[in-house]
Amino acid sequence: MNEMSLKGKVALITGGSRGIGRAITLKLAAEGADVIINYFRRRSTAEVTAQEARDKGVAAHIIKANVGEPEKIDSMFDEIEEKFGRLDILINNAASGVARSALDLDSRGWDWTMDINARAFLLCAQRAARLMKNGGKMVTISSLGSRLVLPIYTAVGVSKAALEALTRYLAIELAPQGICVNGIAAAAVETEALKLYTSEQGLPQLSWQTTPAGRMVQPEDIANVVAFLCSDESAMIRGQIIVIDGGVSLAPIGYTDTKDDEGG
Amino acid sequence: MSVDEKIREIVTRIIRKEDIDLNSTATFKEVGADSLDIVQILVALEEAFDIEIVDEDLKSVNNMKEFVTYIKSKVAEKV
Repeated sequence: MNEMSLKGKVALITGGSRGIGRAITLKLAAEGADVIINYFRRRSTAEVTAQEARDKGVAAHIIKANVGEPEKIDSMFDEIEEKFGRLDILINNAASGVARSALDLDSRGWDWTMDINARAFLLCAQRAARLMKNGGKMVTISSLGSRLVLPIYTAVGVSKAALEALTRYLAIELAPQGICVNGIAAAAVETEALKLYTSEQGLPQLSWQTTPAGRMVQPEDIANVVAFLCSDESAMIRGQIIVIDGGVSLAPIGYTDTKDDEGG
Repeated sequence: MSVDEKIREIVTRIIRKEDIDLNSTATFKEVGADSLDIVQILVALEEAFDIEIVDEDLKSVNNMKEFVTYIKSKVAEKV
């Protein structure tokens, strides 16, 4: 990818202050994009990430909003419209979820998870498309739990499946406007959120820690592909979900490098 | 509405129980709150008082009474 390929673009990253979102924010900033960092609760963390982005020579703006609430999404986009007048890139990264098995899941937990992980993209994309007057890019951050069954991941997994389907629908609906919509499905990424998920639920960590590629997926692995999907070089990729997992979904029970016996 | 009353209004509305004693040494879990309730309570309190609740701070909060004391200290910092 050319250096500073996103110079002059304006990018909104939901949940952009920490974890995967932070890595995406800083990568897009490194590519020259001005960044709008949406955060949910930790203003101080968002301010730190914004300063890290500014240190790369771009403008950075933070907006507090729970994307699970439609009126908060509207307020966020009103502010973006007023301050920037346009948007070129939308990264739908903010996620939350109730960690329960299907039979223990109540409607509140279901709604909370679906509202933040799936409905928010619909509402953000509707507002963002109106601001993408010269075309644009949207990238959604999903997970392997959309297609694989993971312990107590029911609500999140289903919400991510909805998010991926919405990615495909919007890719076609928005194609005539020159807007590319794609997604990423990541394996477990080494973040604070993952530590919380595994430690609170008493899940074994070992299985998360290795992939056929020899290491866990890092936030920067996601950010690099997001930057590619935001560049003109990926213009003919539409409505696809790119798996970033070091190969783990192809070899879920592990794979060791064994050599066949001669003649075997 | 006083700070105490506002905290009570938010906690009882989200947990959906009127008879919660905010001065008790019971934990949120013991009064029937699940993890989603707690997140929603934190968000509502942050919005109501324009404060930032630091999750790390809550590790040393052991019960409802200490929680209310912590929230009131964050509100006092704003004044």
